Amino acid sequence: MSNQTIKLGAGLRQDCDTISVMKAGTLRLSKPNKYWVESSHKRYVPCVEDTVLGIVVDSKPDNFLVDIKAPTLAFLPVLAFEGGTRRNIPKFEVGTLLYVRVVKANNSMNPELSCMDDTGKAAEFGPLKDGYVFETSTGLSRMLLSSPTCPVLEALGKSLSYELAVGLNGRVWVNAASPSTVILVSNAIINSEFLSGVQQKIMVEKLMKRLQ
Amino acid sequence: MGVMAAVGGDGDGELVTPGELLGDSSKMIAGRGAYVAPNGRSVRASLTGIRRVTHPQPDAADQRSIVEVVGHKAHGAVPQPGSVVIVRITKVMARTASADIMCVESKAVREKFTGIIRQQDVRATEIDKVDMYLSFRPGDIVRALVLSLGDARAYYLSTAKNELGVVSAQSIAANHIVSRQLLTVTVILRYC
Repeated sequence: MSNQTIKLGAGLRQDCDTISVMKAGTLRLSKPNKYWVESSHKRYVPCVEDTVLGIVVDSKPDNFLVDIKAPTLAFLPVLAFEGGTRRNIPKFEVGTLLYVRVVKANNSMNPELSCMDDTGKAAEFGPLKDGYVFETSTGLSRMLLSSPTCPVLEALGKSLSYELAVGLNGRVWVNAASPSTVILVSNAIINSEFLSGVQQKIMVEKLMKRLQ
Repeated sequence: MGVMAAVGGDGDGELVTPGELLGDSSKMIAGRGAYVAPNGRSVRASLTGIRRVTHPQPDAADQRSIVEVVGHKAHGAVPQPGSVVIVRITKVMARTASADIMCVESKAVREKFTGIIRQQDVRATEIDKVDMYLSFRPGDIVRALVLSLGDARAYYLSTAKNELGVVSAQSIAANHIVSRQLLTVTVILRYC
């Protein structure tokens, strides 16, 4: 390698003159100079600015306790909503599914969440009603969120209409008009984890035929 | 009541229990852990510990020896409001940090004391912009001032002065970080 400054991301560490790998996974490069190691896990390690799907477990006077598949429960302050004041605190029942953003995450404190984006607007954060939730690995979540659109989602979107929310913590929410559509979309997504783009399209066609 | 313990120089270093006779009040002054019995004549122990007799200074007004009971944890250092303590941070949370008090002034404590450093007591300026995680990590050694006895669970501590704050810590790569002030002190001691 020629003389250049490179940026080390997750999973890489510099020890004096050598760069060593700290995690098992694929080495990825983002031009011009960013390197990192990507791996897929069933467990989620909270990272700032990640959008995740959380389930409310408890509510305290100051924050909601939300499960985001992390080692500890996360705190969602009751005022972290657009136009949130002490007078209009939302009431979430235990088990409510929320689409939230991670604001603070370090290894000795509970992660902190927010239902607003940087500017203070609600964006699309908040509770998700109806639909069906299932768990995936973090690698599959990242693939579903990659751009250009993931082949399986594109193939499904050609013939079906459905709503999808993907959390980087390995949770996916699907909603559609009829239950059979929901089941088909969920199964297609779960099956697509280790298939290539072409294989994903073929798999979706086979499932569509079964629906008819 | 207790067994009669020897009076005077003998019996020094003996284990005594509360109520035991330590001596006669005409020959002994009751020190720590001892008291003069209601009848005014005997000095008895009030704690469990080792009996120790201190002989009076040659020029002291009262020439009686002082008898005390030492070795009990009630005589260990206890944090008082206004004293400087050395603590180890145990937990860092959004607005407070919990700490274990290890030394008071320069004496180690004999029993467990907990302290809390609140967000507004971390520093003197910009107190609402304090990020607890950037100020303290679990395992840091901190020099703090006791503000008050606090509540039933913990003393309230403050690091809002120039000479207070983290003095020693370990980085993520397990490198030892020491405050410059502490380094200066170490150098002086070595060259004395």
